[in-house]
Amino acid sequence: MLNMEAPRPTEGFFARELGALLAPDRIRVGAAAARAYECDAYTVDRAEPWAIALPESTEEVAVLVRWCVRHGVPFTPRGAGTGLSGGAMAARGGIIVSTKRMTQILEVDLPNRRILAQAGIANKRLSDAVAAAGLHFAPDPSSQTVSTLGGNIAENSGGPHTLKYGVTAQHILGLTLVDPTGEVVHLGGDATGGPGLDFVGLVVGAEGTLGIVTEAWVKLTPLPEAVHTLLASFAEIDQATASVAEIVGSGILPAALEMMDEGIMRAVSQAFRLSYPEGARALLLIECDGAPEASAKEAAEAERICRAHRALAVEIAEDEAARQRLWIARKKGIGAMGRLAPSIVTHDGVIPRSKLPEMLRFVYEVAEQHRLLVANIFHAGDGNLHPCFGFDDRDPEQIRQVVEAGEKILRKCVELGGSLSGEHGVGVEKSELMSLMFSPDDLCLQADAKRIFNEGDLCNPCKVFPSQKGCIEHRARWRGVAW
Amino acid sequence: MNAELSELASHCIRCGFCLESCPTFLVTGEETESPRGRIYLARGSLEGRLDWRQAAPHLDACLGCRGCETACPSGVQYGQIVELAREEIAARRAAPGLRLLLGMLTRPGVLRRLGALGRRLPGARMPRILGLLFSNEPPVAGLPVAQWSGMLPPLDETLLMPITGQAFILDGCAMGSLFPRVQEASARLLRRVGLAPKRLASGCCGALHAHSGYVAQGAAMARRVLARLPENDVLVATAAGCGSWLKEQAHGKRRVLDLSELLHENGLGEALKKAPGYWAVATYHDACHLAHAQGIRSQPRELITAIPGLTLLPMPESDLCCGSGGISNLTHPSQAVALQTRKLENAQATGASLLIQGNPGCHLWLAPAAKARGLTVLHTAEALEAAFIGLEWFCDGAKQTAEAERT
Ligand SMILES: Cc1cc2nc3c(=O)[nH]c(=O)nc-3n(C[C@H](O)[C@H](O)[C@H](O)COP(=O)(O)OP(=O)(O)OC[C@H]3O[C@@H](n4cnc5c(N)ncnc54)[C@H](O)[C@@H]3O)c2cc1C
Ligand code: SF4
Ligand code: SF4
Repeated sequence: MLNMEAPRPTEGFFARELGALLAPDRIRVGAAAARAYECDAYTVDRAEPWAIALPESTEEVAVLVRWCVRHGVPFTPRGAGTGLSGGAMAARGGIIVSTKRMTQILEVDLPNRRILAQAGIANKRLSDAVAAAGLHFAPDPSSQTVSTLGGNIAENSGGPHTLKYGVTAQHILGLTLVDPTGEVVHLGGDATGGPGLDFVGLVVGAEGTLGIVTEAWVKLTPLPEAVHTLLASFAEIDQATASVAEIVGSGILPAALEMMDEGIMRAVSQAFRLSYPEGARALLLIECDGAPEASAKEAAEAERICRAHRALAVEIAEDEAARQRLWIARKKGIGAMGRLAPSIVTHDGVIPRSKLPEMLRFVYEVAEQHRLLVANIFHAGDGNLHPCFGFDDRDPEQIRQVVEAGEKILRKCVELGGSLSGEHGVGVEKSELMSLMFSPDDLCLQADAKRIFNEGDLCNPCKVFPSQKGCIEHRARWRGVAW
Repeated sequence: MNAELSELASHCIRCGFCLESCPTFLVTGEETESPRGRIYLARGSLEGRLDWRQAAPHLDACLGCRGCETACPSGVQYGQIVELAREEIAARRAAPGLRLLLGMLTRPGVLRRLGALGRRLPGARMPRILGLLFSNEPPVAGLPVAQWSGMLPPLDETLLMPITGQAFILDGCAMGSLFPRVQEASARLLRRVGLAPKRLASGCCGALHAHSGYVAQGAAMARRVLARLPENDVLVATAAGCGSWLKEQAHGKRRVLDLSELLHENGLGEALKKAPGYWAVATYHDACHLAHAQGIRSQPRELITAIPGLTLLPMPESDLCCGSGGISNLTHPSQAVALQTRKLENAQATGASLLIQGNPGCHLWLAPAAKARGLTVLHTAEALEAAFIGLEWFCDGAKQTAEAERT
């Protein structure tokens, strides 16, 4: 049995052993593969895996995990690798278990509005498969065209429509999990909220530390009959936040309520040649849906509120093409930052809505201190802020600046009575900052809970909880790669 | 260090939004076979963290379809990245096989002879040695089969609109020699919108060379072709790959258009409404170098939809590469077959019997396998001209066989 301190086994060993266990084409080793899998969309920390496995079924995943446990080799699940907190990084080396060859829809059950799929399927493909029946899978992270069902479950992802439809957790009926010992367990069933301990709820949001999800039954939601979308621009951020407060206070439940700042407008107008009113410093995207009259009425009320708060302009989508155009700033804003800077890091914190103007001022100050390009997207409905920094990751000094700036931002979120993570997870990015939010006792309790299910910490090690044995030394190594 | 490549590659923010648009990622599920992975490997090699030779197989497997560019929110110019990366690789490795193949496939004369041979030997495969040069797999691509080149019925000039201008049709390497019927149909369509069709017998435009890493050579070939085009005249491409490459190389100094663009612009849609048309259920495959490289999606669809009697059904993943990808079906056979199957399954699922597309690479690669599934592959030009003279001139019908036997 290999232990953590044992020398890393050779590539040949993995290729031979695992190739024989599954099939040779399921295993990849070598310098190119290791490099390609060294990080996800969070590029500040990187660690190369020893081998990559691409199993095709629950059974193959189980065989693989049992082998890892027997040999003391760490393993890390990975979907599309769009995670923003380093969750899919092989923190202690070992094996990356990719779900990208598990992409099948296994059963479509329209009468009961549910669908069974393998974990590696891209979120959007679930909705595409049932669009003709007027249904969809409601969680809509901006990454939904590529991020996987398994990744969404692990991060409990949300999206602009979370405000009304809820996060991923509310849409998972049951799942098949290969637990950290390699056992296959079926959790939940065909309906949410059965009696007993909510194991499904425990696994959703566990960032892949409680096992590898291989299949899930997900709930399908009817597509809204009507959708009304408007985009308001404001000269002051405070006017936009005041509008948000009044909209929410008035009892309207918009399907989406999203704010973008100047930085986003700048990136988007350069990338897509869109123009926004002169002097605009905040954009507010509001979408109402539901029965046609009700949704139209809500939209009209939202418009009135924005105008009352001196909106510079309120644009209303007349058709689907116009709606898509209004959504561009929200959907492509972060990506468009990539045109202005070689690399970006997107942060994810939660603050009380009323503190947004203060928080944004702080973000701008920090960006200036560290000489970083910055843009902000804010899920105004639930107070989730995404400051996004642009920098050049070929320059070690700039990476250092970005890391420092990020920590300041997150500390400030907690200081303002908010939280470290809205929807991108803790991963390796923020594991050390958990102590800002939880007392040592709380942390120990949570870590204990994890340990009960994940003995030996082989399953996605060093994630979420700080200072697990050995992780501190490893941390120096990941950062070292980037610096 | 290659500063241009470093700069281009640095714009990838690793968001992964391109993954589901990448055919090679879809069939393998592997990060190394994805746009993001390839850019990362190129960057790693450039920065000395990896050996170019280790990155090479992954860059080689790229189809050059540029589906990733369409999907990328960050505006990464992947096409240029892969060309530059392949140049770095080509400078470090002798690839006599690839050069030989390129030389063969881009000479009209050689192609014509191969094409004639292909017609005579049913089920003929590309010479085995070609396949073995690149992969350890036996070749799966058929020898190119040249189209029957008999005459279409004469055009009645009196019924046509007066001539108001002219346009040059690019014969290039493949179109002129393997697809005479497409070229003929294109010429007739130009005439139908009042443009006198001219032919530019130019030889190969170098697109395949450039996409394989011989950028300088490809550019020189493109310059030769463009130099033959009289100034102020329009060059019309019937091959998507050539059109996109020549557009890039013309740097705005010469006007290069895809056939569907020019016809759309000049009102073929109106003319089609008065054509007899034909009954057919069709679907449309977006050639990568039309949809991703040139952004041409709506023009061919609108023209095809204007054909009286024809129903055009949308196809899932219509802009996913069919696997032909330049010469990828020779260099990476099993990947190519997986994508070919995926494409044809998508086409079949629509219920269509015609699969219309605008590129010779896709045409050659899809047609034989499509036939086995009861699907007929047509070039957009053929489908459109058929609206005026009848579909039977373009399908493997009695008319052709009779004509062919007569000649
Ligand atoms: C531009 C951009 C925009 C984004 N927008 C949003 C947004 O609006 N909302 C949002 O919530 N997120 C967003 N994200 C973050 C990210 O897309 C989500 O966290 C997504 O759910 C990750 O899915 P993935 O398949 O890429 O997972 P990965 O990144 O591969 O993995 C993420 C985590 O899940 C674990 N994991 C993956 N698969 C499994 C499995 N089968 N079983 C157990 N654990 C598993 C991994 O170990 C890792 O810890 C965005 C990311 C980017 C790059
Ligand atoms: S979509 Fe663009 S920026 Fe994102 S990973 Fe792909 S190439 Fe890079
Ligand atoms: S060009 Fe096509 S095959 Fe190559 S990386 Fe882009 S999407 Fe994939």
